[in-house]
Amino acid sequence: MNKNKHLLLWSSLGVFLLLFVAAGQENFGKEWRGIQKASRSSEGALDLRLRQIVNPTLNISDRCVSCHVGMAPGETGITGPAVTAAHKNVVHQTSDYGCTTCHGGQGRATEKADAHGTVHFWPQPMLPMKYSYAGCGTCHSSLNVPNLAGLEKGRSAFERLDCYACHRVEGRGGTIRPGGGGMEGPDLSHVGVKGYAANWYDAHLQRHEQTADLPWKNSFGAINEADRAALSDYLATRVGASKLIEAKAQFNSLGCLGCHKVSGVGGDAGPDLSRAGEKDPGQANFTHVPGTPILSNWLGEHFRSPLGIVPGSQMPMMGLNEKQIDLLTMYVLSLRRRELPGAYLPKDRINAMRFGAREFATDGATIFSAICAGCHGADGRGARYPGIPPFPNIAGQDFLQVASDEFITETIKQGRPGRKMPSWMNEAGLKPEEIARVVAYLRQLGGNTAVAADTNPPRGVKGNAADGAKLFAANCSGCHGQKGEGGEGPALNNKVLLSTANDRFFVETIGKGRRGTAMKGFLEPSPVRRALTQAEIEAVVTYIRSWGAK
Amino acid sequence: MKTPMIGEHSALLVFRDNLLAAPRRLRDAMFRSGKPTTDRTRSTFVFGNVFLHLHSVRTHRWSLRWTTTAGLGIATTAAFLITLVTGVLLMFYYKPYPEAAYDSIKDIHFVVPTGRFIRNIHRWAANVMVVAVILHMARAFYTAAYRRPREFNWLIGMGLFVITLGLSFTGYLLPWDQLAYWAITIGANIAQSPREVTDALNLTEWFDPGGFQKLLLLGSDVVGDEALIRFYLLHVMILPLALAALMAVHFWRIRKDGGMVRPVDADARLEPRKEETYPVFTEAPAKTYQLAAVVKGKTPVVGRGPENTVPSMPHLFYAELAVLMLTTLICIGLSLISDAPLKELANPAVPENPAKAPWYFLGLQEMVAFSAFMGGIGIPSIIIIGLGLIPFLDREEAGTGEWFGGKGGWRLVKQAMAVGFGASILIEAFVIRFGWIREWFPHVPQLVITLINPGTMLTLVYGLYSVWLVRRYNSTRAGALGLFTVFLCGFIVLTIIGTYFRGPNWVFYWSPADWPKH
Amino acid sequence: MTVKAGKPQSRLDPEPMPRRDFLGLSALWTMAGALLFSALGMLKLPKAAVLSSPSKKFSVTLPDALAAGEAYVPPGRAVALFRDGEGVHAISITCTHLGCVVKPTTEGFECPCHGSRFAVDGEVTRGPAPKALAWLKVSNKGGSWVVDEETKVPPGTKEKA
Repeated sequence: MNKNKHLLLWSSLGVFLLLFVAAGQENFGKEWRGIQKASRSSEGALDLRLRQIVNPTLNISDRCVSCHVGMAPGETGITGPAVTAAHKNVVHQTSDYGCTTCHGGQGRATEKADAHGTVHFWPQPMLPMKYSYAGCGTCHSSLNVPNLAGLEKGRSAFERLDCYACHRVEGRGGTIRPGGGGMEGPDLSHVGVKGYAANWYDAHLQRHEQTADLPWKNSFGAINEADRAALSDYLATRVGASKLIEAKAQFNSLGCLGCHKVSGVGGDAGPDLSRAGEKDPGQANFTHVPGTPILSNWLGEHFRSPLGIVPGSQMPMMGLNEKQIDLLTMYVLSLRRRELPGAYLPKDRINAMRFGAREFATDGATIFSAICAGCHGADGRGARYPGIPPFPNIAGQDFLQVASDEFITETIKQGRPGRKMPSWMNEAGLKPEEIARVVAYLRQLGGNTAVAADTNPPRGVKGNAADGAKLFAANCSGCHGQKGEGGEGPALNNKVLLSTANDRFFVETIGKGRRGTAMKGFLEPSPVRRALTQAEIEAVVTYIRSWGAK
Repeated sequence: MKTPMIGEHSALLVFRDNLLAAPRRLRDAMFRSGKPTTDRTRSTFVFGNVFLHLHSVRTHRWSLRWTTTAGLGIATTAAFLITLVTGVLLMFYYKPYPEAAYDSIKDIHFVVPTGRFIRNIHRWAANVMVVAVILHMARAFYTAAYRRPREFNWLIGMGLFVITLGLSFTGYLLPWDQLAYWAITIGANIAQSPREVTDALNLTEWFDPGGFQKLLLLGSDVVGDEALIRFYLLHVMILPLALAALMAVHFWRIRKDGGMVRPVDADARLEPRKEETYPVFTEAPAKTYQLAAVVKGKTPVVGRGPENTVPSMPHLFYAELAVLMLTTLICIGLSLISDAPLKELANPAVPENPAKAPWYFLGLQEMVAFSAFMGGIGIPSIIIIGLGLIPFLDREEAGTGEWFGGKGGWRLVKQAMAVGFGASILIEAFVIRFGWIREWFPHVPQLVITLINPGTMLTLVYGLYSVWLVRRYNSTRAGALGLFTVFLCGFIVLTIIGTYFRGPNWVFYWSPADWPKH
Repeated sequence: MTVKAGKPQSRLDPEPMPRRDFLGLSALWTMAGALLFSALGMLKLPKAAVLSSPSKKFSVTLPDALAAGEAYVPPGRAVALFRDGEGVHAISITCTHLGCVVKPTTEGFECPCHGSRFAVDGEVTRGPAPKALAWLKVSNKGGSWVVDEETKVPPGTKEKA
């Protein structure tokens, strides 16, 4: 019996001791307790308790403010360790949106590593501070963002036209009356959200003409229509997140949408990116990613070398510089697009979701650079990537002189089945007027090359198909395949091509070739073959046409 | 009205005295017999208390030796009590609805006062309970405690074992994390696996026990809120009630079956009684008892000679309390060292890879990897039926109450261990190295795989070995010892392989360090 | 345990027990202490450290058309906001009697449950309510107003627009 008594005594003592340790941990050992103890509010010592922001509608219980005490809604005058500093003034109140809505991380956690989310089994670690503005993407999808060039055009117009004299944007400008009654004009940093009077120009002009006030006389003058358009585009993007807008403009400059979808618009070749910013780092492969295993590092490394990170990736090596990579990382991180309760849906999201508003600006230049540039290059001359055959040059004279607007429009609408060119005439594609703007922009890219006048009927060629077949087999099948099914060169038995291209397109292309590609003009002899006559070319075209009949 | 008189008979004085006496009278009303200092009061202490009267008033000294039971039954009970208390506490905050469940576990972990500690204890106590119940079963088996008259209690014990596993399994679902979601998906499909056979026989259309079981379990065709509330109900209500009821029967039967099992010569082998013990019977009782001609029977002590017993109060109770506190100590200690796991929120689109069940199911999962029906239902049923039959097949009496039935038994158990470990490791190695029928003949019918797979082969080898043992030693006890040992060894081997050597896609890896990175 | 007992007793004698069983008693008391301590710890659990109700500080944007003396009750909140020439103030519309939500009217507030009436400044005018309706702290956050339901201010305190 004594053995059992001893066992009981020592086990109980052990239990007592361990409970004591646990009680100590529970009541004194918490990190937030230390921080709150070391902090003071204007009313004296803080009462030590867990603090949180709860918003059941957004399903947040953010205990971040247990340590970041100064960021709690309504807290002022907190002094203490650096973490207790107040949040910088932003549009959204922490009382309504909490912390994790924008910053990510684990709001329910009360310890640093868990809360910042850099632990196992928490799919949404905090956004790195330098990408903080990506957090806006949780709810917002800023609309009508132009490409980098378009953005720069607006910015430089704003600068050139001396708007900074009276207006402040993102902390710059508005200095015309320092100390004397504040800024002359309103701060335009959030004008894209708040909106501005449609008649601002007339009102400005009137004031300029009627007043003797020096700023109005000297700093404002007539603005031409193009500059006004650039200004209005620029101002529409001033929503308080300029870095994110720039990132989006960068995205819109690289043709990413040609292969990827965002908010339902884009190609199918690559994964849909609409929620790529919420990808769980636990599901990504970090074997070849240097640095900490967080999504931003993965994305950066992936942009540097897609194939090195994702085996079998089809994505070309874009050859981006670090600044571009940084901006793209920021943008993709911002693709968080959470499901939101109706009251929290911002206007831009509603416009994009319900009314088909575009997230990219719908001028031809932006559409081309956002969608087409990925393959055809920003200059339309065909992008070249390591290990991938060159893409068609569509801004060259050879093409534009023979390709009618209808032909280009039809090609964009229907795509090229079997090739990488997808159809853009579907719900993930473009509207007819947008396609028209792209075609117009393409002409502009090619130096405003117009289609050479053509009086021949579209199907006027009458050659000998049998001769054509022989000639085709001898001269064309090496690249275009025995039956025109394509090989190194594009397929020619393509239904869409045969139905949209007129005979002249074929004849001219065969005769003059396509500069910058392997297609040489057959009217000229080459070291390995003789030149073809116009009649022979027409015979070949007749033969090619015979596939379309089937 | 007359002023009440202050005097001897004053009701006020009586009232005062009564008031003063109330605590003492309350105590007397609660504990009728006073301090347990005499044999009589010790006895009434035991049978006058609803919780203690499951014990007999006196305990044999053999039962109190640490080597007799190692306290495993009490340890299991203690672990159950701990899970019961902590579980009820967790119910204050747990919300059985998908996603809300996950959030509530996060809250328990982070902000509920003592929540994390309580949840850790709950989880560790559950693990301790599983280990203790397995060891307790092995103890009962190796001391032949299943033999007459304890056959029925052995069956009750098996029921308790199954319910314990069921409690563990249902508990795993509740956090609604990835582990939970995929464990329950797999579990529900194991329940559905009789279709493996009915499909092969083209019977499913008319007779579909698998589909019925799955529907019963999930309440729907997918794992969702319906499944969660059902598992919650099982975990906090149905299974604990069943467990408590069976436990009561289990304990009561220990008393009714004559206490702990002990060798016939236990009295002779005990060291001489110290003076503090005191015999109830100074000579062998020969009487049967008869109570008002209503109850008739023979006390279990008839013919047992002078009883070598001591009063349960306090001898047995010190032992029980000691084990209770030791178990508590172990659970609390483990809880301080390691947190209960919580993975990502359940994501029906992305399965865990590998999706591993809690460790004690990994042996089963290893067999399920061969055939869902055989591994998940067939072989476990065979094992359970086999275990249940053992007391009825082994009717010998020699060696009852002895560990392994004596020296020869231990030799036999060692041999069986070699066979048990050897056969399972060999078969596993063969399968890992060469694959199985499907890899050789891709078009083989499923029924063949169901019947002939490494799991069934292992079971067959083990079965044949036991039959051989019965013949070789001309003893059913030898067969039983061998059978239990080889299955225990097989369970250990499969569990270890499943726990440490299976990686993504259930492929064999020497170490998790070799796992491919996604 | 040191017990000296004589020869085997007759069966009706009690088993001798030691008068002082220091080991047994200390073991039992330690166990009782440990269990009591754990019970104390467990009692902490049901008292929630954080509440799952929405934060007590929230921001409101007042409708432009809000007339002086007209109450604006933000959805889901038991607070009425008023705007007049002197500024904005907020009054809790939870009845101080038994917690029903009172209804703002032009004359004040009326409680539907037990008939309490309050004046426009929250003072009790009728019925069982023991205290005036509380004035809550409002602060101006440039366009929107942050109401703090946890901080009471003296009646008559108004925040300038």
